Amino acid sequence: MRTLCLTLLLISLLGYSLKVFATPQTATPTPKASKTTANKNTAPDPGEQKFKENCGRCHNPPDSLSPREVKAVVRHMRVRAMLSAEDEQLILKYLAP
Amino acid sequence: MNRLFLLFFLIAGMTSRLHAQSDAPNVPILSGAVAFQGTTNGGATSFTPIIVPVFVAPLGDHWLIESRAEVQGFIARENGTTGPYSGHFFANLDYLQVDYIANPHLTVTVGRFLTPFNIYNERFPLWIANLVDTPIIYPIGTRTSGSSNGGMFRGVAVARPTWNLTYTAYASTLTTTENLQAGRAAGGRVGLFLPQAGLEVGASYQRFLQNGDSNITGTYFAWQPPRIPLDVRAEYAHSPGGQGYWLEGAYHLAATRDEDTWLSRLQVVGRIQQFFKGQQPTPADALPAVDVNQFDFGLNYYLPHNVRLNGSYGRQFSSAGNANIWNFEIVYRFLFPAWPGGHQ
Repeated sequence: MRTLCLTLLLISLLGYSLKVFATPQTATPTPKASKTTANKNTAPDPGEQKFKENCGRCHNPPDSLSPREVKAVVRHMRVRAMLSAEDEQLILKYLAP
Repeated sequence: MNRLFLLFFLIAGMTSRLHAQSDAPNVPILSGAVAFQGTTNGGATSFTPIIVPVFVAPLGDHWLIESRAEVQGFIARENGTTGPYSGHFFANLDYLQVDYIANPHLTVTVGRFLTPFNIYNERFPLWIANLVDTPIIYPIGTRTSGSSNGGMFRGVAVARPTWNLTYTAYASTLTTTENLQAGRAAGGRVGLFLPQAGLEVGASYQRFLQNGDSNITGTYFAWQPPRIPLDVRAEYAHSPGGQGYWLEGAYHLAATRDEDTWLSRLQVVGRIQQFFKGQQPTPADALPAVDVNQFDFGLNYYLPHNVRLNGSYGRQFSSAGNANIWNFEIVYRFLFPAWPGGHQ
């Protein structure tokens, strides 16, 4: 019974989430949050978008890392956080352009 | 210990040499956290200093060596609530694994790795977890130590702009060596991640192959809506020793995720959990011997420079006696290169 209730709860949340957030996010990030967005009318950097979608689920952007450190961190997260190969490359370009 | 240092420098040196041979420079990094925790559980107070170093060394374009250890102390009164304080230190190797990224869909891992049952064990180290205490059902699927010794396949089976399907499959051998314990088990996990919705759901299965074989199952979900600084996570797990769930919500006091004010650095956390004793409990399950209900309420503050303060209050209800649980923690997250020139 509890398993059934939990399953129903998960399905409900999935449906609600798909309905509310089915539209791709086009909100412009704040200048502080954006490393590469030049002004408020341009679309967010795809790497920044992937960072928010994947890495931002657990932690904030790192304070300051060198490109070599970024490469090690992103490789680590590729394995640990199950990043796709494409997302890994986009995030790498965003954090170490 | 000397062998560990030798291994460390060999790997770091090898990584640095590969940097010179590759277009994309590699550098090993040393990351992790230092924390100090204080807990009062049912009137018994204890203090726990912890250091958790994480070593990561990428090798070439396909290989990665990663390791995490945990050195912690436990300081408490000798008789629980009375007597002088005394303490002892112990260390544990959480993982030491070699990963080979074979292709965009497959990574092969061998060595000692965190058991990928549900998500708490793999994804919420102390510098990520919103509450100090691990969930009551944490031992389900992660016994005997939270780590496995063996091999694992994992990766993103299908990657689309709007959804990802992830998987892990692993096998572990029984190990009784001190600080390297692992159970004999095999299992796997599948997860569906919808990045635009910030939603992930998944399921885990494990066949525990010792002390009488048993099946262990679990489900989880995590939801971080993109526009709201809300974080919702939950897990359910079932084993012969018992079953239960936890549901946790955490909210930064801000209108959007990008907001950065003194108030937005404050996070309010709430968690409810229930545990129901199983038909075949054993002491090795590391689970409560009775049914337990518990709620926790916490306040976290994210200071600059990767420092976080946590404080929480919980109330536990069980036939063995109700208890108040107070926790506080200060945790500092660090990261620096483990080889000269890494800052370049």
